[in-house]
Amino acid sequence: MISRQSMIVAKWEFLRFFKWKQQLISYLLMMAVMAAVALWSYFTDESRKVYRIAVPAEFSISNTEQFQFQRPTIALDEQLAQLKADESWHGVITLNTTGSDQHSVVLHTLAAKKWQQQLETELADYFRQQYATKLQLTPAQLAQLQQPLTIDYAYLDENFKGKDTPEKMIALGVLILLFIGLSTAFGQVLLSITGEKQQRVTEQLYAIVTPQQWMDGKVLGHSLSAMKAMLTSALVMLLVFIVVSVVVREDGVNLGWLNWGVVAWLVPFALLGVLLSACFMGAIAASIDDPNTSGKGAVMMITWLPMLFTYLVIDSPTGTAMMILSWLPLTSFAAMPVKMAMVDLPWWQPALSLILLVAAVWWMRRVAGRIFLRGMQMYGKEPSWGQIVGWALSNKAD
Amino acid sequence: MQLIVTAICKDYGTIAAVRQVSFQINSGDIFALLGPNGAGKSSIIRMLVGMTKPDSGSILVSHQDEHYDHVPRRLLGYLPEDRGLYPDKSIEKNLLYLAQLHGLSKQKALQEMAHWLEVFELSDRRNEDLKQLSKGNQQKVQLIAAVLHQPALVILDEPFSGLDPINQEKVVTFLKALKARGMTVILSAHQMAMVEKLADHMLLMAQGKAILAGTLADIKQQAGPQRQMVISCTGPVVAEQLQQWLPELEIDVQSTTRFVLKLTAAQNVSAILQQLVSQIELTQVEMQTADLHQLYLTAMAEHQLREQA
Repeated sequence: MISRQSMIVAKWEFLRFFKWKQQLISYLLMMAVMAAVALWSYFTDESRKVYRIAVPAEFSISNTEQFQFQRPTIALDEQLAQLKADESWHGVITLNTTGSDQHSVVLHTLAAKKWQQQLETELADYFRQQYATKLQLTPAQLAQLQQPLTIDYAYLDENFKGKDTPEKMIALGVLILLFIGLSTAFGQVLLSITGEKQQRVTEQLYAIVTPQQWMDGKVLGHSLSAMKAMLTSALVMLLVFIVVSVVVREDGVNLGWLNWGVVAWLVPFALLGVLLSACFMGAIAASIDDPNTSGKGAVMMITWLPMLFTYLVIDSPTGTAMMILSWLPLTSFAAMPVKMAMVDLPWWQPALSLILLVAAVWWMRRVAGRIFLRGMQMYGKEPSWGQIVGWALSNKAD
Repeated sequence: MQLIVTAICKDYGTIAAVRQVSFQINSGDIFALLGPNGAGKSSIIRMLVGMTKPDSGSILVSHQDEHYDHVPRRLLGYLPEDRGLYPDKSIEKNLLYLAQLHGLSKQKALQEMAHWLEVFELSDRRNEDLKQLSKGNQQKVQLIAAVLHQPALVILDEPFSGLDPINQEKVVTFLKALKARGMTVILSAHQMAMVEKLADHMLLMAQGKAILAGTLADIKQQAGPQRQMVISCTGPVVAEQLQQWLPELEIDVQSTTRFVLKLTAAQNVSAILQQLVSQIELTQVEMQTADLHQLYLTAMAEHQLREQA
C-alpha cells in the first residue's frame, strides 16, 4: 500500500527533524528546571517554621505545630514596638468587640505573608469552638455542623462507568498527548513542505516520485515525529507519576488503575487521528507558496478543534454532541476514545468508527496528493480556496 | 530510446507558450533547445517530463518496444530550471537520498557518487553541507543528482547557467561523458559556443515557435551561407567613406582601422578586395563563416521582423 519511495521519503523526513542530542538536552534542562523549582519551594516553604503570635490575655487558644500563642503582659504599643524592632513577635492579635457578641480580629504584622492564611484557619476554628461552647453544643453536634454535604450519584444507565473514573484521566491524557503530537506535526509539516518549495526541491523530486508517493512519505514521516513526541511526553508523564507516588506520597508504584482494554483502543484512534491531521496539514501546506505572505498556515490549526470540542462535552459522554463527534470521522479520533473510556460500548461501535476514520484518512491523503500536484503546476501562483476545494472534490487522476 | 514530438501546443491562460513545435530525438543524441527567455524551452521540457500535458499535438517516447506519452520517471534524469537541494544536509546525504529514491542500493549509489564527485573535483567536500558550497559547486552536485542512477534520458534545463567559463567547459566534458555512456541528453541553453561543441541536433525557438531545427550543418544551410570579411588597414578610415566605396555591404566598425564586412552569397570577394585595395592599404584580411551565435542572432532578428510584418 505504501510504496518503497514513500518509505524512503518518510525516513528522510523523520530523521530530518530528529535531533536526539538537542532533545536529550531539552529533557535534561526540563528536569533541571523542575528540580530547581522543587528546591526553591522547599527552601522558601514558610509552613516549616514556628511563628510566635501575641494574643490577648482572654484568648485560650492552644498552640499548634506552626504557631505558638503567647499572652504578653506588656502593653499593646510595646508589643507592636517589639514586633517592629526585633521580631520578638511574628504577629500581634488584638480583639475589637463591635456588638454584644460580635468580634473582629486584627492581626498586626510587618507585611503580608503566606503563613497568615494558615493562621486565619486556626483562628476561625478557635472562634467556632467558642461560639459552640456559648451555644452549649456538644462536640458531636459541632462535628455534624462542620461536616460538608456528600452526594452520591446513582446512574441508571448501566453502560456509564462513572464521572471521575481513572479511565477519564486516561482519556484526558490522550487529548493532551494528541494536542502535543499535532502541535509537533503542525510546525514540521509547514516547515518541510513550504521549505522544499522555496528551496526549489519539489520539481526535482517530481521527476523521481509521484506527487502521491511524495505526500504519503511526508505525512508518514511527520506522523512518526508526532507519535515520537507523544510517546516521549507519555513517558515523561509516567515518570512524574512514579516520582510523585514513590517520593512524595511514599505509596509505591501502582498502575492498577490503567485500563489496558481502553488503552488498546486508544492507540489506533490516536495513530489514525495523527495521520488524518497530518494529511490535512500537508494539503494546506502544499497550497502555500510563500509562508511569509500566505495566511493559509493558520487554517492548519483546525486540526486542534476535535480535541477542544471533545473537551467541552467530556462531562456528557452519553449526550448527542458526543455521539455526533464520536462518529464523525474528522473528530472521532479525539471523541470516540474519550467516550469509550467513560461509557461501556458494544465493540462494533468503536470498530465501525475506526473503519470510517480509515476511509477518511485514505480520502484525505488522496486530496493532499492532488493539491500538491496541482499547486506545483501553478508555478509560484498560490491557488484560491475555490480551486483547492475543486481539486479536493475532483477525482481526476494524478 | 526515441522521442517524437509532433505539433505540440501549450497555453497558460492567454499566453501561448508553445505553438506547433515538432522535433525528433534519437537514442544517444545530444539535443539542444535554444532560444531567449520565454521562448518556450522550459514549457516543452515540463511536457516531456510529464509535469504538464500538451493542449494539442503528441509526444511519443519509445523505449525497448514500450511507448509512453511522456518520459517515464525510471528512465529520466532531470535538472529543472528551478533547482535546489537541501542546503542543511551534506553533499553525500543529498545525493544518497535522491539515488535511493531512484531505486539504487546504497552501495551502488556510493560507487556512482564517488565517480562523479571525482569528475567534478568535489570528492574531498562530500561531507560538507550544501550551503557551504559556491553556487557553481551546488550546480555540479545537482548535475550529479540527475545522472547518478544512469538514466536512459537526461533532461537538463539551463545546465550552464551560473557557471564560470572553466566550469562550463567541465559541463561540456560531463555531457560528452554521458553520451559516451549511451545516454540521450536534452538540454536547453543560451550559451551557443557550448552547444555548438556538443549538440548533435538542435531546435532554435522564439515566442513558442520553432525557427530553425536540425544539425549545426542543417541550420547553417537553412540560415543561408553567411560569410564575413575582417579587414585591418594601416591608417584610420572613416566608416562613412568605407560605406560609400562598398554601398551594398553591411559594415560593423570595430575600430578606426578594423572593420567587419558582412557578405551575402552573391557578392564577389575579389571585386570587393579590388575596390578596397584601390582606396586603402590593407594589413590583414580574414574570411570567416558565421558561428551558431551569429546564426542565432540573425534568425532571431529575422523572426522579429516577420512577426512585426
